Amino acid sequence: MDKVIGKAVTRVEDMRLLTGQGKYIDDIGTPAQTFQAAILRSSSSHANLVSIDTAEAEKVPGVKAVITGEQVKKYLEPFSVGVSAPVHYYPIAVDKVRYVGEPVAVVVAKSRYIAEDAMERIKVKYEALPPVVDIEGSMEEDAPILHENVGSNIANHRTFHYGKVDQAFEEADRIIKHKYLFPKYTATPVETYGIIANYESSENQYTVHANFHGPFVIQAIMAQALKIPSNKLRIIVPKDIGGSYGIKAGTFPYMVLLSVASRIAGCPVKWIEDRQEHLSASSSGTDRVTYIEAAVKNNGKVTGLRMKMIDNVGAYIRAPEPACLYRTHANSTGAYDIPNLHIDAYAIMTNKLPTGLIRGYGGQELYFPLERIMQRVAFELNLDPADVIRENLIKKEQFPYKTASGGMYDSGDYMKGFELALETGKYEEFRKKQEKARKEGKIVGVGLACIVEPSGSNMGYITVALTPEERAKSLPKSGCSEAATVSMDPMGSVNVRISTTPSGQGHETVAAQIVSEVLSIPADKIKVVAELDTSTSAWSIASGSYSSRFASLGSSAVFYAAHKVKEKLMKIASHQMKVSESELELRDGAFYEKNDPTKKYALKRAAGSAHWNPLSLPEGMEPGIYETYYYSVKAAEPPDENDLINSSVTYGFVADLVTVEIDPDTGEVRILDYVTIHDAGKLLNPLIVDGQIFGGLAHGLGGALYEELVYDNKGQLLTGSFMDYLCPTAPEIPNVTIKHIETPSPMTPLGAKGLGEGNTMSAPVAVANAVSDALTPYQIEIDTLPLSPNRIWTLLNQAKQNKNKEVTV
Amino acid sequence: MEGKGNMVLEAGVNRAYEVLLDPAVLEKCIMGCKKLVLVDDNKYEAELSIGIAAIKGNYSSTIEILDLEEPRHYKLAVKGEGAPGTVEAVGIVDLTPDGESSTLLNYSYEAEVGGKVAMVGQRMLGGVAKLVIQDFFKKLGKELKRMEQSA
Repeated sequence: MDKVIGKAVTRVEDMRLLTGQGKYIDDIGTPAQTFQAAILRSSSSHANLVSIDTAEAEKVPGVKAVITGEQVKKYLEPFSVGVSAPVHYYPIAVDKVRYVGEPVAVVVAKSRYIAEDAMERIKVKYEALPPVVDIEGSMEEDAPILHENVGSNIANHRTFHYGKVDQAFEEADRIIKHKYLFPKYTATPVETYGIIANYESSENQYTVHANFHGPFVIQAIMAQALKIPSNKLRIIVPKDIGGSYGIKAGTFPYMVLLSVASRIAGCPVKWIEDRQEHLSASSSGTDRVTYIEAAVKNNGKVTGLRMKMIDNVGAYIRAPEPACLYRTHANSTGAYDIPNLHIDAYAIMTNKLPTGLIRGYGGQELYFPLERIMQRVAFELNLDPADVIRENLIKKEQFPYKTASGGMYDSGDYMKGFELALETGKYEEFRKKQEKARKEGKIVGVGLACIVEPSGSNMGYITVALTPEERAKSLPKSGCSEAATVSMDPMGSVNVRISTTPSGQGHETVAAQIVSEVLSIPADKIKVVAELDTSTSAWSIASGSYSSRFASLGSSAVFYAAHKVKEKLMKIASHQMKVSESELELRDGAFYEKNDPTKKYALKRAAGSAHWNPLSLPEGMEPGIYETYYYSVKAAEPPDENDLINSSVTYGFVADLVTVEIDPDTGEVRILDYVTIHDAGKLLNPLIVDGQIFGGLAHGLGGALYEELVYDNKGQLLTGSFMDYLCPTAPEIPNVTIKHIETPSPMTPLGAKGLGEGNTMSAPVAVANAVSDALTPYQIEIDTLPLSPNRIWTLLNQAKQNKNKEVTV
Repeated sequence: MEGKGNMVLEAGVNRAYEVLLDPAVLEKCIMGCKKLVLVDDNKYEAELSIGIAAIKGNYSSTIEILDLEEPRHYKLAVKGEGAPGTVEAVGIVDLTPDGESSTLLNYSYEAEVGGKVAMVGQRMLGGVAKLVIQDFFKKLGKELKRMEQSA
């Protein structure tokens, strides 16, 4: 059988998706007597809840129940959070509302129409409180406090000191510093949140169908909030999820809310989120202020970094936050060899939508200041930005490379990747063109970014939010377990069950490829079951679809589970053929004697005998073919007493080169060319890989140029529709050239690394660097995003006015 | 959001002042006003129905008239809330006699919206406010003329 892993095979999912047979949450049907829910949401960003009058709403024919926070609270405890600050987070407002869009009441009715109509009749009295929306404003002495019992708006604060930072700064030729603001933006899957929740009093059990994709550690958090044993919360995830990009981890508060609504209303309850709800009240990325300082030698070598990061987690810190601050902790120094690092990390709360996972999670917030400062180092020292990157990149011979903060970069050849980017993007040639274009009055520029893409999170990293002393009081957390099950039925057909809850990435295809190669069965004969059911699937707290963990972890679990099946079948064949296992080989669906290929034993027969004739099996062997493998990696250790943490399992590399032209009249940024070089280790399916890269890049360009959840100073969201929240569509996507280099990961059996998020992290800063490069003649610093025509036009005009002033002086 | 403007009313200042604060006239002239009831001294409750961008709906509002300096000056404080969100607005009206049967009216306003209206209506809001106000004074002008003629 030919190699199947690494082939660009087309996706098995596409037939059903393209013929309308996908099974999304809204397609799976509902139990009898299911009612529909609508959620009344706060129009105030910060207020005391004085009263909620539901009497009129309850009178509407067809309404089953109108449920408020007071009622819900009886069945709940606040969600537990990963910080010591005592933030009480319920899925519905209880005494106060703290952001616009926060649930205030749930109407359960025969139809969504009735529920929405009844909702209009609920009368809520608010007593307005002063809101706080500004990141640094939230930390001021007299700032309004969101959570009185916390005493401040700071949910988490940690400082980290690695290496000899002070010495690096004392010995530096230059200290180059700046403040950057990464804006709040989001992920916008076409399918919004959807939940069908059913409480059965006979068993005191909640069964929840939801397009939730983990991490499944949140199943425990939900069960705890619902005050039930965790096996009484059955979560079933449909096999098709219409995109997530991280944000569907945020379905969990709604799963709990609808669960309780089902319990109170006494019927199954279904809720499909609408777009406005999604933009205002699902989840989003954090906005972050970073003060970054680099200790620099005159040749551009950065010897130390200081970063003060203030991450805005919105109105409530909730799982898995403050993970946004720490997911990239191991790779805080990016692709560079910088041994001295100081981090002052804050998670603060303001009257904005609470945050959570989105594609790139923490990466774009980290790399925006880091890669901007690298360019600034070049500009201030009058060096070529490419040379500054070269000077600082980790060298091939340094791998595996231990980072200042404890990361173990598994493999890479960053210089090769970066040079390939320069060559593919014709960097030198562009510089000459740029010189000429400037003389013609054109504004063109080139931006570079080199980033490390972490994938497969170490479940221990989030405990970095606690001090070593606080950590010592509880049990350590480590690993990154993922499970897969491979089974063979009596006829020799194969089922594979995965727990990576794909949301469009093609896990079924790649899992089938892997099992096909291991068992030497054609991929199209293998059935992959992607539904996850916490009552019947093999899963772990780490399971799910986030942190690009399928390529690194999910695929490895599938690989080893298939091997377990192969080993068992091999034992059966060896027993039947009376030949030792070492003399057998598996190919074309049969075990062959290596020395005598005329002797063979069909795989199907081996499987058949395990079912039909267990008495024929070798002594002590169990009947049946059903093997589960739980995969984890030794390198995913808990943080140590010095806060060293290898926060991810594999670390890929991305080098971007982007060229832009700016319209001087409108300020519009046009991308001329985008080159992106990826090293994600061995590629499992190059077709899917490029699809993931295109998607990640589109999201990154959204962050660079278009997307922002804008709030006014009263905490009112101003971007609640796709007319106001601008997403890139096909015409906005420029010409993109993708190239790969492959340095296999020694951490994973197939050498693969995750790769779906790299350009979401790199594109915002790559484009910012290009725009900044283009605007060098105007001395404009790009320190926030998105680079909308409005922003660029304003900056250009200010620069021109300043110039005029200089002239008149 | 804020704005200001002025217009000439074809009535003496006392008459103009009186009409401006006549609930029956207000009910007729405020766009989308379904009901206006006096609930206290200088305090009304009103049912308003307005569409801003795609957000149409009803607002239960209170309108308070403050800082009365008859017949030259008053302030209007409007608070509305309903399914589409919240509106809070303050308007200041100054009247200056312009001859026997003509009055110059200056107005300024500040308004804030919240909830759905803010989320999707922000782009339209300036235009809508202008429309509502201009419509009010246009209708008021007509009403005044009609009253003057019938008087």
